[in-house]
Amino acid sequence: MTDYFKYLLSPLILAAHGYGLYLGGVYAWTGLALLLGVLLFDAFLPRDYTMRDQRYVRIYDVICAVTVLCSFANIFFYAYLVGHGHFSGTSQLGAFLSMMFVGFVIGAPPVHELFHREEFVLRWLGRIGQCLIFDPWREITHVVTHHMRVATPDDPDYARRGDTVYGHILRTFPGQWKESYHLEKMMWTKRGRRWYDLRNAWVYKAATLLSFTALLCALGGAYGALLAIASLLLGPRMMLEVFNYVNHYGLVSATPGRFEKRHTWNHITPLTRILALEITNHAGHHEDSYKPFYKLEPDRNGPVQPQFLLVVLLALVPPLFFMMIKPLLKHWDMHYASPQEREIARRENERAGWLELNRPDPQRDLPAGIWSAA
Amino acid sequence: MLSPEMNAPEARHERCRITVRGRDGEEQSFEIGRNELLLKAAIEQGIDYPHNCRVGVCGACKTRLLSGRVSPMVDLALSPLSNAQIEDGFVLACQAKVRSDLLVEAQLGRQALLPVCTVSSRVTRWRRLPGEVIDLRLKLDTPLRYHAGQYATLAESGSFTRRSFSFYDPPGDQPAQEVGFLIKRLPGGRFSEWLFERDRSGIKIWLEGPFGVMGVDDPDRDALCVAGGTGIAPILSIIGERLKRSARARFTLVFGVRTQQDLFAAEYLQALQAQAGERLRVIDILSHEPAQSGWRGARGLVTDALDDRLGLDFSAQAAFICGNYGMVEAVEKKLLALGVAPERIHADKFLPSGTP
Repeated sequence: MTDYFKYLLSPLILAAHGYGLYLGGVYAWTGLALLLGVLLFDAFLPRDYTMRDQRYVRIYDVICAVTVLCSFANIFFYAYLVGHGHFSGTSQLGAFLSMMFVGFVIGAPPVHELFHREEFVLRWLGRIGQCLIFDPWREITHVVTHHMRVATPDDPDYARRGDTVYGHILRTFPGQWKESYHLEKMMWTKRGRRWYDLRNAWVYKAATLLSFTALLCALGGAYGALLAIASLLLGPRMMLEVFNYVNHYGLVSATPGRFEKRHTWNHITPLTRILALEITNHAGHHEDSYKPFYKLEPDRNGPVQPQFLLVVLLALVPPLFFMMIKPLLKHWDMHYASPQEREIARRENERAGWLELNRPDPQRDLPAGIWSAA
Repeated sequence: MLSPEMNAPEARHERCRITVRGRDGEEQSFEIGRNELLLKAAIEQGIDYPHNCRVGVCGACKTRLLSGRVSPMVDLALSPLSNAQIEDGFVLACQAKVRSDLLVEAQLGRQALLPVCTVSSRVTRWRRLPGEVIDLRLKLDTPLRYHAGQYATLAESGSFTRRSFSFYDPPGDQPAQEVGFLIKRLPGGRFSEWLFERDRSGIKIWLEGPFGVMGVDDPDRDALCVAGGTGIAPILSIIGERLKRSARARFTLVFGVRTQQDLFAAEYLQALQAQAGERLRVIDILSHEPAQSGWRGARGLVTDALDDRLGLDFSAQAAFICGNYGMVEAVEKKLLALGVAPERIHADKFLPSGTP
């Protein structure tokens, strides 16, 4: 039964963060401090391969939906507080950074979870929830493009070997915009409509975003809305791309359109699994993107990266990230890649200038079985 | 009040019964797991479900949902289905997650599915043909079985880029040790531009296949074959195979290219003609041949050659069509209007690919 309560961690942190914003001053840092503390603690915990209790699954859905609603309340509250001069000096910085990080770790996962769902209400909430990343077009390139072309350069979310996170961000956004336009155009063309037809999906998305922005303005004025939107763009929106950057980094697929569990990294420490609503338990999600988070089965032999927070922080310092990822990629090439993928990886290593990954070194190479659950 | 999921409707029926009604009214049933993809599960059971790309691009697994519920993996407006087809209840089996028992309309094939294999190979022939076409022959490291009209995906060793091409040889009694493909240069096409850059003899190529169900028909039935450009490849394979299996079936092949300079398949057709004798009639038709040239043959689109002047009893023909998407759609429409039975039309539509 305790499985159900685990997922209350996110709304509880969100509530504490909201209360911290209300108190202001040094308490404005509460959200950031709590999340960093929890994730730091998580770095010392062993991997968790357990499955969730499946008896009362509606509880999970309710928690997930409530987290999205609370995240909306959070951003509106923040805009209101900013607009009414509630913060000053370091508390302004603390509140902004907390909003960024809370928006990423707590706000984004349930939105992703729900826009993958089939039930109308949950999916609608997930789609509306994309306001919390200030990008209602994220769903279409994620569900169609990313899931279909994962671990190939045809997926704008994919980072190739040698790519830094900064280069990735510069490439991925234009790639996603281009892809969104292409897909939206295909939908209105297929239905025989003009681009400005009010029934087109993009009109609905734009109207949603405009309404959301108007509400932020109404609550917090221009300044409140500006900071709220900036916190969403620099927080969840931007950091989602950091997540995408690490999550399939350098892995290669020779079977685009046909996902195999080896085509993703996983982060399966207990608290990361809970806070991220199992999205870091990633193989199961790609295998069946309709599968709710509580049904995802951790891949007991799948590729595993170090703890999530650590990897995200390392990604911000490319030389350190490369130092961490190269031995893992070499291990993947040797033990996980198909023969065809091994040849692609070899060329990718050459392209990145990582020739040492193409030379076996029995003394220093990671031993077989490092990713297998005990 | 929340109830345990074991009592939820979805948990009560973990298996779903799929009943496929053919265009001839015959029904065939099989069971698959709830939430499985319809096409994937059917193929894994060895059911000859019509398909091609398996990733929602080609539309070959187009299926009409008569009753039951499926969830499409992606918005069907992003698939090759037309809006009218979507509104008429068509889905793509490769993208359809099964949620309940289904009654669907699709034409199952009648040949045993062959296992899909990934095999390495070396280029043994790289030969330029007229019309910017390459005859690419590969020596396989592991022999492979395929049916006439099927295709494989090819990828250069070390490259992400993979593209699909049809086998042009008729399948033999034994697994093939060597296979051949006709590959048209597509401006900007990643694979074809790479292939055309220089002689690729000796290069390692990965081949995955066989894929696709071009259709099997009564071997003694006369066949009308329509090919556009390198769409001739599977047609060569199909005619070659049917010639071996029947001593009396006759073939009419309408082969469309742009100009005389694009008639790249002459030697392959001559070889086929030598084998078939009077049983094969080839009609070349040119769509962009200059009016002042000395060409005495047919001019226009392949559909222009399809009429009573062919002297065929269309209702008795099996039809095999291969070419680009628009051409195949147009030919299918024309053949239906001429009286070819829908269940006897077997088509392979290829798409210029930026897609996987």
